[in-house]
Amino acid sequence: MTGPTPPLADGAAEEVLYSESFRIVGNDFEHGGEVAARVKAILKQLGFPGDAIRRVSIANFEAEMNVIMYAEEGTLDLAVVPGGVRVTVADRGQGIPDIDWAMQEGHSTATPEMRARGFGAGLGLPNIKRNSDEFAITSTVGTGTTLRYVVYAGLSAEN
Amino acid sequence: MVDRTHSLVADRTRCIGCVTCTKACPTRAIRVRDDVAAVNDELCIDCGTCMEVCPNDAVRPRTSSSADMKRFKYTVAVPSLTLYAQFGKEYPPGQVIHALRTIGFDEVYDISWMCEMVAGATDAHLSESRGPWPKISVTCPALVRLVQIRYPDLIPHLVPIETPRELAAKLRRRRLAGQLGLDPGDIGMFFITPCTAIIHSIVAPVGLEASHLDGAFSIAEMYGPLLKAMRDHPGSDAVDAVSVRGLKWAMAGGEIAGMRNANSMTVRGLHDVIYVFDRIESGTFRSVDFIEAYICPDGCVSGGLTIAGRYTAQRNLQEAYRTLGDQATVKEEKVRTLLREHFFDVESEIRARPIRPLASDLRHAIALKREKDALLEKLPRKDCAACGAPDCETLADDVVRGLARLSDCVFIRLAALDQRKPNRKEPIHG
Repeated sequence: MTGPTPPLADGAAEEVLYSESFRIVGNDFEHGGEVAARVKAILKQLGFPGDAIRRVSIANFEAEMNVIMYAEEGTLDLAVVPGGVRVTVADRGQGIPDIDWAMQEGHSTATPEMRARGFGAGLGLPNIKRNSDEFAITSTVGTGTTLRYVVYAGLSAEN
Repeated sequence: MVDRTHSLVADRTRCIGCVTCTKACPTRAIRVRDDVAAVNDELCIDCGTCMEVCPNDAVRPRTSSSADMKRFKYTVAVPSLTLYAQFGKEYPPGQVIHALRTIGFDEVYDISWMCEMVAGATDAHLSESRGPWPKISVTCPALVRLVQIRYPDLIPHLVPIETPRELAAKLRRRRLAGQLGLDPGDIGMFFITPCTAIIHSIVAPVGLEASHLDGAFSIAEMYGPLLKAMRDHPGSDAVDAVSVRGLKWAMAGGEIAGMRNANSMTVRGLHDVIYVFDRIESGTFRSVDFIEAYICPDGCVSGGLTIAGRYTAQRNLQEAYRTLGDQATVKEEKVRTLLREHFFDVESEIRARPIRPLASDLRHAIALKREKDALLEKLPRKDCAACGAPDCETLADDVVRGLARLSDCVFIRLAALDQRKPNRKEPIHG
């Protein structure tokens, strides 16, 4: 198998083999993690390797909890592409004023309540980046944040 | 299947195909076909839930028989600590051990001190390990099977230390062979088990080439004979070696109670296990060092092959702790020596047994996933299980895998009948 072509590259028309969209509601801690769990179940059925599923799941969980903690609402779009799994998480919310700052480990704006629940260690965004092979973030203060990340997975569909 | 290794046997004459077990099975391993429950061996974790919920007593544990004992020149009973918990304070461990010898075992080997040793070895492992965290106990064999099937990514989290029952049997057999001048194969070691999962772990061990135990009798089947023996032939064996810290392993929480490392958690029962393990998989709980987890709600005292209810059993244990007094029976130096000899190490790799994807080819799998979603739209989502699958989603899954038909759904069949009626123009003859 040759190396997969970067699925994020220049947004050129790329074959999406499977896609599904999930809604995430801000402050809905009760259902926190459910979207990540549903995506994990889908990827298992499609036969992705365990390591790829694990990395996508960790990133999805962090991204989902970020929407729940900081945004009004958002969507997680799953796209299975020939090179792997591409996820786009777009939210309508407060946005991130300083992305470089937020991308550093230990930097968090979590409230004491969030920290009490085990969040807010400042590992969310860095953790998503660490677990993905491609990562992009854009954010507008007062409007919202969009994350796009890709986890490469060599599958028989590429052959 | 002739060479099944699983511990639960369905009695086809008793099974009426009522789907009670099908709906209760935590791994969705059971389907009712032709009015009989059939188990998918790949998915079964031997937890015993089907046996517990069956209203017709059609699921039985596959335990050893007296004929199995006769194959050996010398027999040793290795009782689960849960056995002691079955009897009240009038029958303390010494009497239970005596009674086991009365009913036919040449020797009884207590494993409570080995539990205490393993707690020490686990502490040592936690202090030396570099992760991944948290580490997970392998004491509950149904849990280990669940990890292999449902959480294969968590296999590196499993503590690579053999269970006390296996280590005790290994050690005792080695010593006995020397003392008695017997071939190790002439010594029969039989576990007295609280659950079916341990029976399976003896027939088809995980992390071991072959079990050090030769078979198992259930606590449930031994209870009556033991009680009778204790009444008819009273007597007590010495219990100097019974470790109270080890005894605690019979209950959820007992394993961590005897450990030095306190950064740990106990997870009780399948529902909570799935809740916590889903989160371990997504990276939460990384700050926890050690998790002891049981498929049964209170640990081994709630095993399916016990007689005393788990509340009575726990009260009995509390009494035993008080009577015996809490003192360490194991010397740390002994643990360190055995650690250096790698005595505790699991012998072979624990392998993943992940659930099979819809297809091995991605495009094919996606096509089947779409087909499955479309089928699910047509199904009533009542999860009645009348089709023989536990719920509508599983039926859809079975259909796309070619294991069932959409028309197995009674609602689909009814709808088809209703559609046919008004169109029936021709008169019905004879």
